[in-house]
Amino acid sequence: MSDVTETLPVEQTGVTDDRRTVLATALFGGLMLVAAVLVVVDAVRLPETSGIVGPAAVPLPVGVLLGAVGAALLVRARTQLRDARPGSRRPAHGALRVCGMVAALVAFALLLPVLGYVVSSAALFAVTAILLGAPRAPQAIAYGWALAALVFLVFDRLIGLTLPTGPWGF
Amino acid sequence: MDQFGLLLDGFASALTPGHLLWALVGVTIGTAVGVLPGIGPALTVALLLPITFRLDPASALILFAGIYYGGMYGGSTTSILLNTPGESASMISALEGNKMARAGRAAAALATAAIGSFVAGTIGTVALTFVAPVLSDFATSFGPPEYVALMALAFVTVSALLGPSLLKGAASLLVGITIGLVGIDSQTGQPRLVFGIDSLLDGIDVVIVVVALFALSEAFGHLLTGTGHSTVQPLRERAILSRKDFRRSWPSWLRGTALGFPIGSLPAGGAEVPTFLSYSVEKKLSKQPEEFGKGAIEGVAGPEAANNAAAAGVLVPLLTIGLPTSATAAVILTAFQSYGLQPGPQLFSESGPLVWTLIASLYVGNVMLLVLNLPLVRMWAKLLTIPSYGIYAGVLVFATLGAYAAGGTTVDLLILCALGVLGLLMREAGIPVAPAIVGLILGPLAEQQLRRALTLSEGDPSILLSGPITVVLWSVVVLALLTPAAGAWFRNRRRADAPSPVR
Repeated sequence: MSDVTETLPVEQTGVTDDRRTVLATALFGGLMLVAAVLVVVDAVRLPETSGIVGPAAVPLPVGVLLGAVGAALLVRARTQLRDARPGSRRPAHGALRVCGMVAALVAFALLLPVLGYVVSSAALFAVTAILLGAPRAPQAIAYGWALAALVFLVFDRLIGLTLPTGPWGF
Repeated sequence: MDQFGLLLDGFASALTPGHLLWALVGVTIGTAVGVLPGIGPALTVALLLPITFRLDPASALILFAGIYYGGMYGGSTTSILLNTPGESASMISALEGNKMARAGRAAAALATAAIGSFVAGTIGTVALTFVAPVLSDFATSFGPPEYVALMALAFVTVSALLGPSLLKGAASLLVGITIGLVGIDSQTGQPRLVFGIDSLLDGIDVVIVVVALFALSEAFGHLLTGTGHSTVQPLRERAILSRKDFRRSWPSWLRGTALGFPIGSLPAGGAEVPTFLSYSVEKKLSKQPEEFGKGAIEGVAGPEAANNAAAAGVLVPLLTIGLPTSATAAVILTAFQSYGLQPGPQLFSESGPLVWTLIASLYVGNVMLLVLNLPLVRMWAKLLTIPSYGIYAGVLVFATLGAYAAGGTTVDLLILCALGVLGLLMREAGIPVAPAIVGLILGPLAEQQLRRALTLSEGDPSILLSGPITVVLWSVVVLALLTPAAGAWFRNRRRADAPSPVR
């Protein structure tokens, strides 16, 4: 990974994307098409106003452009898919780890008001560090606890940003 | 020279102990986040946005300006010692700088980067001092049509310059503009793209979007790719320049500055183009072209200077027209807005003392950064030994804190998570996130100006092309749209004509 940048300034163009990038581009293009439909439908249902330019004046062209660029990305991804080279090898279960991370963040969002800032953040730190390959779990938990406590002290007590507290007051 | 008096007043205000302290805090945080891979100044300023509601505008803006300049200095340390440029503008310094570090010349590379950044930053700030008021005077004549044209130009150039292709940049920009549409329309009170969710009525907070697209997507990306093992080049001596290195460096600093500031201050902006240009200029002019690619000091000095001069240049359109051309500038614009200040020509006339204090603090910050970065560079290099799982876990803690502070509800954290997944998809697809930030912040302003213009003309779109300035700007927009397309077409033709493909 270290020497990839060597050729970049001279010939940034003409490099074929790997298969993974092409598929992600296609997926993103698809998402843009969905967003385009949502934006246009939402803009059309906006009521007429007395003003010369109503609230739908900008969303409509934005929706159309979303659709156009999304479609262009899809078409280009389709033509690129044929001569896309396979991507570099990645560690196993990457997608699983991302799902775990998303689950941890959702749990953090739901549990923050219940368990308070310090416990939730310490747990979030530990889970993230372990998912990212921290060698020793107890150490990650200790660091997380220390950082969360420090943040709570500085931002809640010192600066006065009110952070949620659990039943134990922090 | 009217500016001198105003600037002196600015210095008087910037040199008060309180403001000096905020500048020091800003440049220190800025250097730290610049050094740490995966955290940039845009993310940091965004995270600090909700917290600074307790500060007066001058202190907050001095803090942010310090972070902005500091990030540029710190980024070069990482790219030289670690070869993982934190931002695309320091990619070039990684190219030659890391080669120098591997050859045991890390100290010289760091010194030329830091002094070059100082020289360029200072010259850039001097230029800003004199160009900004003039441009601001000129911009007072701008009406809504001129603003619409300027913003269209910024949209196109940001899409084209901040990413691998115009199409992907445009995709990112549109995502940002769409997110910016969410919420109650300020002029008619109609809810847009809210889908019955109450907490979307106020729109999606800038902090949440920046944090999701920069921090979460980065952490998610590392879950997929693994954090990898990068080797930090050791730094043995103190960072000082030998006489010979100095002789080779200073012309490059000046050339880099001469390229960086003007290009940075165009309403097209971006620090990437001037750094790339500076690199190729240095390569052409060098007496030792064979050293390039193996660690030529000119290849660090020029691009680093260009990078920093461009950073000062980006402040020109930001302060005088209210036009952000980089992600960090866009977030700083939000900071102005949160104090009820709208950067633009009125800023200089209405909040003159504030602007001049800010500009004076840039001079002060540059001196502080030189002191922080030359003797203390070894301390910053130590930051690079923090394992990356620790960095990203810490980033997530601060990211969720910032998102919570900005919104304060569970729904905000769920939106953060969803946008983080979107950011991961963008990363995987090679779609840059910076245009989305610019689109998010500039989009609503552009809409406001467009509707104002059309209301003035009672719906007649020809008002957008009235006046010589708008015609010129729109022609540049069309040119900027056509140039990459034409370039690609010619390349394809050439490739089709060539008997055997080059690659």
